[in-house]
Amino acid sequence: MSAKMYRSQERILAGVCGGLAEHLGIKVGLVRAIMIGTTFFFGAGPVFYGWLWLLVPMAGEQSAKDKKLLDADGNPRLKLFRPGAAAAVDAAAADSPQRSRPTLAFRDVLIGGVLLIAAVIVFSVQTGLDLQLSTVIPLLVIILGAFLAWMQLDSTRRIGLLNATKMNTPMALLRLGGGIALVITGVIVIVAGSGSWQLMWASVVASLAVLAGVALVLAPWVLKFWREFQDERAGRIRESERAEIAAHLHDSVLQTLALIQKNAHSATDVTRLARAQERELREWIYQDTERNSGALVERVKAVCAEAEDLYGQVVEVVAVGDAELTEQGNALVQAVREAVMNGVRHGGTTVSVYLEAGPKGVDVFVKDRGPGFDITAVPVDRLGVRESVVGRMQRNGGTAEIISSAEGTEVRLHLPIDSSVTEEAK
Amino acid sequence: MSVPPKTIRVVIVDDHAIFRSGLKADLAPDIMVLAEAATVEEAITAVTAQQPDVVLLDVHLPGGRGQGGREVIAGCGSMLGTTKFLALSVSDSAEDVVSVIRAGARGYVTKSISGAEISDAVRRVAGGDAVFSPRLAGFVLDAFGTAEVAVEDELDKLSARELEVMRLIARGYSYKEVAKALFISIKTVETHVSAVLRKLQLSSRHELTRWAADRRLL
Repeated sequence: MSAKMYRSQERILAGVCGGLAEHLGIKVGLVRAIMIGTTFFFGAGPVFYGWLWLLVPMAGEQSAKDKKLLDADGNPRLKLFRPGAAAAVDAAAADSPQRSRPTLAFRDVLIGGVLLIAAVIVFSVQTGLDLQLSTVIPLLVIILGAFLAWMQLDSTRRIGLLNATKMNTPMALLRLGGGIALVITGVIVIVAGSGSWQLMWASVVASLAVLAGVALVLAPWVLKFWREFQDERAGRIRESERAEIAAHLHDSVLQTLALIQKNAHSATDVTRLARAQERELREWIYQDTERNSGALVERVKAVCAEAEDLYGQVVEVVAVGDAELTEQGNALVQAVREAVMNGVRHGGTTVSVYLEAGPKGVDVFVKDRGPGFDITAVPVDRLGVRESVVGRMQRNGGTAEIISSAEGTEVRLHLPIDSSVTEEAK
Repeated sequence: MSVPPKTIRVVIVDDHAIFRSGLKADLAPDIMVLAEAATVEEAITAVTAQQPDVVLLDVHLPGGRGQGGREVIAGCGSMLGTTKFLALSVSDSAEDVVSVIRAGARGYVTKSISGAEISDAVRRVAGGDAVFSPRLAGFVLDAFGTAEVAVEDELDKLSARELEVMRLIARGYSYKEVAKALFISIKTVETHVSAVLRKLQLSSRHELTRWAADRRLL
């Protein structure tokens, strides 16, 4: 940051010399002397000055933006939602109404106007163009008018920014356009009124030159104005985004927190509520970067969420790849559901679900760390495992395996994509 | 595990004071918390001053240039040999997880992990091993692909054995269970996991982090 140049806040004109001195590490006086000195070499000094004025931002503006960025980062709420919204962009642009904007003193305008007039006169004398006083004076009046119009624009814009109302900025632009049109009309009327075509030509050329000069003076302000307009708009977008986030938090998180307080005596309820809220919030935060938009994984996640809600037990789903949801896939999802339900019911611990979908088929592993059970000891009339898991998989061309020990139970399901290819299920 | 009864010195870096104190209370008695830090700058100062064995590092942190945990690891770059970083996060995003691993973290666990599990993970990281959660294993499998593919660079693919180990971890197996299932020693499992971690850190395969984001990995 320090390597970047900014215009100084302590300034006589625009703070260019101060900024340059700070940037180069030399005295301000020296820079100013060089600036003035180089004016006598084809006006190089003022041109360079103007160029820097146009392109180098004011010190206060940039640091305000930077500070804002850090603030946004330090704010835990915004940090939480970082992936959802382009928070950094917004943060950089936010806060324009409160920002301390260096106000432009009337003195600056006066100095600028005098310098401009002097430049035009010097230019015309140098090129040998003999300007008559009767042409110059009305033009000076017109320039002054333009400056006044511009100043009015500046003040209205400031009010507009403070009020943060939408209509003010385009209106101000319109006013500016109208002012310029009026100035041009005025010039033509004055010149045409004098009757002489020769004089008119000279005046048109002169007024064009003046207009060019005015445009040159206005350009930095127009640029600045445009930037501020953009900042303000970004601020508004950010504001509405914040409102949306607040609304969402109110509807979801606050409601859940209220429910949790009511059910504080029941650990199961609290876990269930918290888990459901967590899932919902995650889905919302990561909606843009959601990994598996394909149908199968989504369905598996849905049935796992259902099991979590029913039993208040955490079901962790890890999925690699995804597949279309076919009829067989549907059967697989049902088998997974049954296996997960069994896991949360009998296992009583966190259930891990791992799904891997490849070109050959889909494998799903459902693992719990419960006490396990003896498969051979399961009575024949118990439909749960035998029918809903093993039988269902077999009917749909897949396989199911259940491995249970004292350390837990794992259900392994395999469904080949093409039923003609029967891959061994690990 | 075969960890000698020696205290492991840790620094906790997280911007939530409640989480820090909760974690401190949850850690096993053989793990000593030297310092806590809440921002990137504080973290770098604390880690440099304390020279802990393990840093428990939140992925998202305020301060610095907004890079969070990555920036802390980068700021302590010279100490990577002696100080190990274990990333902690509530985030499910592959970008967060993979980027902090690639910055040099030796493992990644979610914040919902139990006290016993996290103590175990700290011991493992302190012992020079890598800690993979099922979700991280899932990311690895997704990033490197689950099928055997021919690539020139050895770093760009997982060996058949590494694939097997990753799959089992993704299925929720502990290292011990993986060892039992594959009829290998725990040490061998740890070697495989460390090799995968190294590949994840060094592989240039499609610029893994960007790849993960592009593929809209969770």
